[in-house]
Amino acid sequence: MTFETFQFILASGLILGGLYALMAIGLSVVWTTLDVFNFAHGAFVALGAYIAWQVAQYGEGLWGFVFAAGVSVGLMFVLGFILHFCLIKPFEKRPNIVLLAVITTLAASVVIESLIQLVWGPREKQISPAVSGRIEVFGTGFVANDVVALAVALAALAALALFLRRTGTGRAMRAAAQNREAAEAMGFNVTVLYATALGIAAAAAALAGVFIGSLRFINPSFGADPLMKSLIVVIFGGVAKFTSPIYAAFILGVVEAFSIYFLGLYWSPAVLFGLMVVVLLVKPEGLFGHRRKTL
Amino acid sequence: MKYAPPFHHSSALLPVLAAGAVLTVLPLIFTDAYIRHICILAFIYAILASSWDLSLGYGGIFNFAHMAFFAIGLYAYGIGAKIVGLNPWLTVLLAPVAAIAFAALLAVPVLRLEGVYVILVTIAASQLLLKLIVSQSEVTGGTSGMVLLPRLTIGDYRLTDDGRIGYYYAALAMLGLSTLFLYKLERSPLGRAIKALRDNKYYAIARGVSEGRTRLYTLCASALLPGLAGAFYGSYVRVASIEVFGLAFLTLVLSILLVGGVSTIWGPILAAFLIAVFSEVLADFGSWRDIAVALAIVGVILLYPGGLFAGLQELRDFLDSRKTAATAAWGRRFQAGARAALMGAPGRSIATGHGEVALFDTGEEKPALLLIHGNSSCKEAFHRQVAAFRDRYRIVAFDLPGHGVSRNGNPRTDYSLDAYARIAAEIVGILELDRPAVFGWSLGGYVALEYAAGGHPLGTLAICGTSPLSLYPDDMPAGYIASPHMELASKRFFSWREKRDYAEATLATRAPGSGLARRAVWRTDGRAREQLFSRMKTVDWQRQVAFLRRGTAPFAMINGSEDPFIDHAYCAAFEYGAIWRGAPQSIDGAGHAPFLAAPETFNRLLGEFLEECASGWHAEKSGPAVPRFARTPEFRTTEE
Repeated sequence: MTFETFQFILASGLILGGLYALMAIGLSVVWTTLDVFNFAHGAFVALGAYIAWQVAQYGEGLWGFVFAAGVSVGLMFVLGFILHFCLIKPFEKRPNIVLLAVITTLAASVVIESLIQLVWGPREKQISPAVSGRIEVFGTGFVANDVVALAVALAALAALALFLRRTGTGRAMRAAAQNREAAEAMGFNVTVLYATALGIAAAAAALAGVFIGSLRFINPSFGADPLMKSLIVVIFGGVAKFTSPIYAAFILGVVEAFSIYFLGLYWSPAVLFGLMVVVLLVKPEGLFGHRRKTL
Repeated sequence: MKYAPPFHHSSALLPVLAAGAVLTVLPLIFTDAYIRHICILAFIYAILASSWDLSLGYGGIFNFAHMAFFAIGLYAYGIGAKIVGLNPWLTVLLAPVAAIAFAALLAVPVLRLEGVYVILVTIAASQLLLKLIVSQSEVTGGTSGMVLLPRLTIGDYRLTDDGRIGYYYAALAMLGLSTLFLYKLERSPLGRAIKALRDNKYYAIARGVSEGRTRLYTLCASALLPGLAGAFYGSYVRVASIEVFGLAFLTLVLSILLVGGVSTIWGPILAAFLIAVFSEVLADFGSWRDIAVALAIVGVILLYPGGLFAGLQELRDFLDSRKTAATAAWGRRFQAGARAALMGAPGRSIATGHGEVALFDTGEEKPALLLIHGNSSCKEAFHRQVAAFRDRYRIVAFDLPGHGVSRNGNPRTDYSLDAYARIAAEIVGILELDRPAVFGWSLGGYVALEYAAGGHPLGTLAICGTSPLSLYPDDMPAGYIASPHMELASKRFFSWREKRDYAEATLATRAPGSGLARRAVWRTDGRAREQLFSRMKTVDWQRQVAFLRRGTAPFAMINGSEDPFIDHAYCAAFEYGAIWRGAPQSIDGAGHAPFLAAPETFNRLLGEFLEECASGWHAEKSGPAVPRFARTPEFRTTEE
């Protein structure tokens, strides 16, 4: 294997990792804050992609794409915010909230998928990429859109990290995630913070959906795959901290890229899962996880 | 000891028999293959959902690999029957083994995890399995699945013939067997260990339940039925495809479980039929159907947290309280004569702060004797005492709320020792009884103790069939002999057999004139039993103990030697300040209700007690109170 090949595999692994991180971050934010597992995450990804596709019909090129992505992310934030009051809030006081949230978010994903089917039909669609052509990075040629996707993913994650660590709302959210009662006692409106967390998750999902939609074809039920991918990332990294799924996503992306190159497309999922099983057996709370959760 | 009557003695027998009969004749009425098809699917969903309940509901393990167990059964059938060429019947029986093996493997990580992590791991394991199946396409057909799997036949007869009637009955039989299995398992020691781990893990472990082994068994037992159902499903639809891993299928089965009610075996079975029919009726609406089903599920969970089963129980609760109220009204209206004949005088009704209660009062100017009856009984249980003592005493007896011919009370406020004692005090006040002698039997003994400890006017106190407690429920095992009938005391619904058992255990049912008391068990509001016992923890037992230790009021305990409930040694060892004749009195051969079984002996003892008190037995004995701390249960800690 030449150095160029190595470089190429590494880079494509990083690009994959960026997408995975974007997909998984929403799942992990909801989990660390609301303590529930959001099964509608895949549907959020799909809906985000469809909204962007619809908006992109009115404008071509880079700005059309940027506008579509912005509208999609904004709308999905609002939707996520609202959905908290339909899916999670009514059941907060129930002892089996974890289980109930599973079924309500599953129901939400069914509703979203069916609505997509009704509005846009079952035919496959693709969002026209933000930039076309190839660009050269460190002497290796890449599809420009991939590089943009990675860059935007990194920027979005960085922005989210800044939001959570530097802004008042972000810190309040972390406080609510760490100790709900204490945060309430300090006068934070935990309900709004929780809804914001779901909104952020939906927005991140939408952004991931936009890029997935520009990289491959989308159909109403394509969200299931990102959901499962994020799930693996989250298990792999653990959800103890905001950053742990991000590292895990990049590790998994690179591992997947290498295993695709060396073992082929068929066996790479098996490698990933094998790795996951090993992680679970050795460190069940995830590679970067702690028993206690903090956002 | 847990009270667990066999199924044929429980009140679930009739509904289940009726449902079984309906399902057996259903295909004979509806010969349409399509209706039978929906029924067969409903049977399979019911098996899937109810067996999922074992790990998810009873075990509290968030096992989301249940569909994977089903898929394993399905693919094991496909591979075994089509590729290996085994006998289809044999394959159906072998397929669960594969599912159990997978469950055992899965248990390794699951045992080390808690809560939401278990969801992740089990989903991931299912996805791993999915990838494995997709990647081995030369065996499993990959994403397109396996088709034309062999069907089940008996000789040359195919179960699909005659409008699928063979499959219908096979599926029905399987549902019956699976329900039997779950029912038996839930009530076995293993089932109790599973529930104990869910309810209080550390307590269960401390009591010797092995967490690892129990969880392993839970998962394996939970995998058995979906494995079987999957194989059967494969032989029925004759296709094994990766659809069964999809979120849609997971949502369907999970919603059946949640809509039916978690931790109930019957709920999911009912819900399986409802949802199968509901989604078939709406089949023509495509995507709208999915939306409607999803919204309906969220709606049910929102409005009926306990699911359908809880709804049914509410209905039953409503009907039962209506029934007991109607029985009481009937008794008030038409049986007053019978009661008056037995008691020697008519009764009346009196308004108290806890509703109207039925009162019996001989109403002459004599020393008063207040009689308080026990759980699920009535004042007529004391008819022999009324006859014996009415010449010397003014006898006052009343029916507790929800008992006898009193009205049913408000379950939130009227069914507690505190409320009962207050009613007694109100009656004493209304009738202007001056320091009455109080006799309480069983539960009434606690009411009497509570009355006395509350500082209400009291001459003397006698109790029967009551063990004084200093801590509830910790002292229950010491004060009472564990018996299945003890559980009945707090059970809300009685089957006819339980009513009979309870009457036989508590009353001397063969004694003449015990008929009214026996029938009172039929009439008692089940909520009174349930609420009273659930409020036992809030009773100030130490106040009662302090009252007994103080010994300021003459106190007697008269028990039956053959009482099936109370522990005589415990009662004898209790530190009384002053007890008549120095120890609890025992009437040879009498049971829980000596005043009915051996009225002459009982009446002689009670009479002697009352007379000796009147002539100053207690005044001579009681000196300055000397605190004795031979037994100090006050500082025991209890962990719930």
